[in-house]
Amino acid sequence: MNIAFWIISAVAVLGAVLAVTLRNLVHCVLALILFFIGIAAHYFLLRADFLGTVQILIYVGAVAVLILFAIMLTHNVTGVDGPKELLGVKWWSGAAIAATLAILLKKAILSDPLATLLPAGDKAQSSVAEIGKALVAGWVVSLEAIAILLTAALIGAVVIALEEIQKS
Amino acid sequence: MNYPGKGLVEGLAVTARNFVGSYFYKDRLTTVQYPEERIQTPENSRTFPFLVFDESPDKPRCTACKICEVECPPKCIYIVMDRDDKGKPLQRPKAFDIDISVCMQCQICVEVCPFESIKMDNDYEKSKYGRFNDLVQRLPDLLKSNDYYRQIKPVKAAEVDAKLKAEAEAKAAKKAAAVAAAAAKAAATPPAGSAT
Amino acid sequence: METIYQLLHVTFANVPAWTVQVAAFLIPIAFIFGVYPAIFALTTLVERKALGRIQNRYGPNRVGIFGVLQPLADGLKILLKEDIVPRVADKFTHFLAPVLIVVPGLLVYLVVPVAPGMVAVDLKIGVLFALAVGTMSAIALFMAGWASRNKFSLLGAVRAVAQVVSYEVPTVMAGVAVIMAAGTLSTLTIVQRQGGGILNISNWYVFRPWGLVGFVLFVIGGLAESARCPFDLPEAESELIGGYHTEYSGFKFALFQMGEYLAGMAMAGVTVTLFLGGYMGPGSGPGLVGSLIAMLWFFSKLAGMIMLNIWIRGTWPRLRVDQLMGFAWKVLLPLALVNIVAVGFWHFLTPRPLAWVVTTGWLVIWFLVLTKCNASAILEKREYRYV
Repeated sequence: MNIAFWIISAVAVLGAVLAVTLRNLVHCVLALILFFIGIAAHYFLLRADFLGTVQILIYVGAVAVLILFAIMLTHNVTGVDGPKELLGVKWWSGAAIAATLAILLKKAILSDPLATLLPAGDKAQSSVAEIGKALVAGWVVSLEAIAILLTAALIGAVVIALEEIQKS
Repeated sequence: MNYPGKGLVEGLAVTARNFVGSYFYKDRLTTVQYPEERIQTPENSRTFPFLVFDESPDKPRCTACKICEVECPPKCIYIVMDRDDKGKPLQRPKAFDIDISVCMQCQICVEVCPFESIKMDNDYEKSKYGRFNDLVQRLPDLLKSNDYYRQIKPVKAAEVDAKLKAEAEAKAAKKAAAVAAAAAKAAATPPAGSAT
Repeated sequence: METIYQLLHVTFANVPAWTVQVAAFLIPIAFIFGVYPAIFALTTLVERKALGRIQNRYGPNRVGIFGVLQPLADGLKILLKEDIVPRVADKFTHFLAPVLIVVPGLLVYLVVPVAPGMVAVDLKIGVLFALAVGTMSAIALFMAGWASRNKFSLLGAVRAVAQVVSYEVPTVMAGVAVIMAAGTLSTLTIVQRQGGGILNISNWYVFRPWGLVGFVLFVIGGLAESARCPFDLPEAESELIGGYHTEYSGFKFALFQMGEYLAGMAMAGVTVTLFLGGYMGPGSGPGLVGSLIAMLWFFSKLAGMIMLNIWIRGTWPRLRVDQLMGFAWKVLLPLALVNIVAVGFWHFLTPRPLAWVVTTGWLVIWFLVLTKCNASAILEKREYRYV
């Protein structure tokens, strides 16, 4: 497990580093996809196979494609005219924010009572049934709230599109 | 009855009929398996000219009159008349070349030929490996028998045969008439010796 | 449950355990890499011959007896072609795309069971895995289209990605119906649930009202996701030259063809698994003979699905882009959602005949409603001048 962990981590970190350093936006997204797949592999390694598959389905299959579409609709994809300084002030400030966020997240996760309740990786069975039961039993209100939010977003998108059609 | 997707289902039925039918009914298949099967070319189809001979290749109908050589629009015909030792024309070609890479298959040579000698072939397998000399058809390549002509173009060949026969008969009759006239003249004016 | 590992472990008890492990690991890989590309090669020939017969032609019949060596000749020809990369192309992405396009197609076969216990990996979330991996082809298509620096390639890629993302939704929803009925995401268990009944046939999900609707939805979604006719807009040769593979030649082009066919066959395999009872059929069961018969059943069904795809390709005209999107979002998606409710009825209504009546009635009513709502999109019958 350890060897697999290190290989997958290396790939994921490589993808992440490339995603923020490459100058071509499309290359950045492709590197980001590599990172997503690395994270999915980590989930598989932790026996969270449902989460891993959903990671591929949603992030690689939908989110990355959405980002690619957004990039295709913009000019200036190659970033030749963009800011060139790699280790400038912006970069350092961004790194500082990211590091702070990571430390805060780590503290929050470890202080949560759930962290101690996590089952050992090797013993965990398929997580689908538990997730399903938790969603429709304990967290049904949250689930429905998210559903309404997403439906509203969908309708909003249609309304915006209709307005543009009527204008033209 | 009308239902959504009717056209799609009917289309599927048509293609299924084609699929199954093509295995059972040979006439559904329109493809001709070319090297093994050939289509009979129509009577009026034409490719390149050839020369007709009647009995043997030594005696072509062609008299090397060079009308076709003059009339040929792309000038793809080259003719040399055969002569005997004294330089007297023999009224037959010594060389008759047609460059089929130049020939445009217009059939004008056939139209102008007064001796029904040059005709259009329907042989379409004339491709060669060389680009220049191989594509020039020499006299031996061009000479084909009248039987071959009758075979590829039966209707036209019959017309030509009838015309030639009529011409030959007319010529023979004229000759006979001339002979008869000469004989009659001879009879009408008795020989000088006998009179005296 | 039998798996390849256990089967080998019992059969070869004397050999060291690690060899059995390695063998159990390598055999499915060898199987997937050997059998499915071979079926791909065969499919190209069968497709050309069948399309020929549909059009009252012979199809290829010159290479070998009845043209059986045609795939070999095609492969050789395509290997000998020059590999051209456009000067302004993004070289690395251009190279990576045809490699990546083959991967999702092959990965799906990991979870498609071909006989009892004969599945490369019996994932607990097999169906989801198959569907998730299928979407990854969109990335490869985009890479190919974008990296070529060709407007036709990019247009083809945009169409391909939009189409794959749109049809993913109704396809997954149609799969959800089966997942609900079977109560599991494991492909092997889903196939086992479809066993029994009359001749191992009557319990196939396609013989349920919701299963039939799901089957039709899934076949349509599968055709669209693998960009096969009538959904071959991404490579519509009359509009886009070759779509996303315009700038590819030689072996890279062959990889695109291969990836496309493998994805199409993978979707056919998943369809067989979910709706047509997988390897279930008269005579299939555990043991060597039963397994062989089961394998025969699975591959016969796969061949049947491939033939259906070819038949559709030979018949139906290509959709327009707006028709394509309208069909996905206005017809297929509502029908898939209604179908999920139908499975709920089927599950909770206890006397079976009642469940049959209610489910069928529910689906028919909604089908008519959807037809009515989309009446403006249904074209009138047109008379052409030279009919």
